[in-house]
Amino acid sequence: MSDRFRRGAYYTLLWSVSLLFFTPVAWIIMSSFKTREEILATPPTLIFTPTLDNYIELFTQNQNFLQQLGNSVVMSLSAVVIAVLVSFLAAFCFSRFKPKGTNFLMFILLSIRMLPGPAVILPVFLMFANFGWKDQHIPLVLFYAMFSIPFSVWILKGFLDGVSVRFDETGLANGGSWFHVIFKVVLPQVKPGLIAAFIFNLIFVWNEFLFNFVIGGVQTQNIPYALAVGTYSDGGLNWTFIAALTSIYILPPVAFIYLFQKYLLAGMTFGTVRGEV
Amino acid sequence: MSISVTGLTKSYGSNTVLDGLDLAVEEGSFTVMCGPTGSGKSVLLRLLVGLEAPDAGSMTLNGVDITSTRAAERAVGYVPQSFALYPHLSVKANIGYPLKLAKRPSSEIAKRVDWAAGVLAITHLLDKTPDQLSGGEKQRTAVARGLLKETDIFLLDDPLVGLDYKLRERLMDELKSIQQDLKATFLYTTSDSLEALTMAEKLMVLDNGAVIQKGDVFDVYRSPAHRRAMELVGFPKANVLPVLRDGGAVQAGPFKLDSAPEGAAFVGLRPEALQITETADGLSTKAQVQLIEELGGEEVVYLQAVGHGLTMALAGDGANGTAEGDDVVVRVDPTAFVFFDGDTGNRLAADTHVKAAAQ
Repeated sequence: MSDRFRRGAYYTLLWSVSLLFFTPVAWIIMSSFKTREEILATPPTLIFTPTLDNYIELFTQNQNFLQQLGNSVVMSLSAVVIAVLVSFLAAFCFSRFKPKGTNFLMFILLSIRMLPGPAVILPVFLMFANFGWKDQHIPLVLFYAMFSIPFSVWILKGFLDGVSVRFDETGLANGGSWFHVIFKVVLPQVKPGLIAAFIFNLIFVWNEFLFNFVIGGVQTQNIPYALAVGTYSDGGLNWTFIAALTSIYILPPVAFIYLFQKYLLAGMTFGTVRGEV
Repeated sequence: MSISVTGLTKSYGSNTVLDGLDLAVEEGSFTVMCGPTGSGKSVLLRLLVGLEAPDAGSMTLNGVDITSTRAAERAVGYVPQSFALYPHLSVKANIGYPLKLAKRPSSEIAKRVDWAAGVLAITHLLDKTPDQLSGGEKQRTAVARGLLKETDIFLLDDPLVGLDYKLRERLMDELKSIQQDLKATFLYTTSDSLEALTMAEKLMVLDNGAVIQKGDVFDVYRSPAHRRAMELVGFPKANVLPVLRDGGAVQAGPFKLDSAPEGAAFVGLRPEALQITETADGLSTKAQVQLIEELGGEEVVYLQAVGHGLTMALAGDGANGTAEGDDVVVRVDPTAFVFFDGDTGNRLAADTHVKAAAQ
């Protein structure tokens, strides 16, 4: 009996904490289906007639929205694909050939990510401005890829270290090339690591605001940029716009995390938790 | 010669594993290389396969120098000690892997995979994945994959290690008959001397990176050329005892002899050369039975004789009426003494007949 009680209390606590954290998300999603008056009403209205007007307005009235959404999707995916491919090859070298100073190099690599964005934004801005890369998609994508590589190398090296060199040797001994070993023998065995690296970086690039704001421009605006800039565009706080755009904005990461949560766990532990994947 | 190696040297840091190794493996032979862990067996095979490069020396396969040929271009089948079966491929795909890489048509691959799976009795496992297999099944899959390489030279790196005894016995027989069917050259390494004696046609004994003896398996067993060869080949392990000289008399372990070859520092005695006897003479010693192992057809008795451990193999089971703790008299066959040099470890010119020292 006391066991059941403790279990019950335990779950009640977990659920209440989870719901507490979920409240702002629920509020913004609910708001996206309300009129401006309903959003601002005190006390807040919980029962209301949902309306799609906010979304319709976003898609039809807001000229920049589709471009911003497209930028977010295209830049995130391309930056992350480049980053994961480069990181996989780099991690393979670190894991298999162990160049002198591997540990130090790995540390240096990660230290790029230890720097906060504002610490490097000025030199990066000057470089982009002088090279004429400002407001251009490809330089920005490459910058995002560069920023995504260190963490991916760490994740993937953990996974690659877990794949025995004997597999490589079997491939080589049976007449396979290094290309064959890397992509046909080893790559299929670190799929969870690739997925983990992919999602981690996708979330990072998807949420990136600072660099987009400073070294991007009109052509490269993404959704975080649109949110920040669009919020006050009417003069006051444009709550219907914020609510609708935020709801769309959080959908892809939530879907990805939900679908691949077990890989995310493996990624956070650099491939050391392998049993579940 | 199928495989020939000259002056092969390989070091890892300050640890020299192979030091100027020379060896030759006859075409179509089942050659077993027997040596203790760390003697360089695996390293030699890895060098031959091309997974590592030697520091010095040269290697030829079927007369072609392959010292600097890439692994992919060397025509050798290789069964590694670790199974290294690809977890993302089915057993069928794992076995057919060498042929797939050689870009053979899939009908031919299927035919050869069926053949190899049939030989190793794993046809029923073909559609499973490696993680669904037991250790023995994985091992047989790895052997099947090794056999599908299109070549007549196969290198097997201790492929039966860690398997249970029954399975090992069966696979030993299977591998031998496969080799005879293929008429191919097999170079097989093991650290288990019983396995070596069971399987070998030609036996090489490797110790500390050098071949200390090679030849027909029977010759190696009967006339070991080196102290380590005697210790390493044979089960139960041979007795190797120190030879001490006291004036004219020679003390070979617990036995007093009238003479020994010049420079002899060790004497080797096969366990089956010892017998329990009733009457004590110069070639006998008092001993206490420490432990008896029943092996069915034979009995291994571990004795303690005047400070020397002795191992004795007796035919028959428990027929000798001794029990652990008994005091017995053990006599040795006078033709069985094998003397070894103290510095080189080489066998010394045989005194075929050793006499007991005068009492």
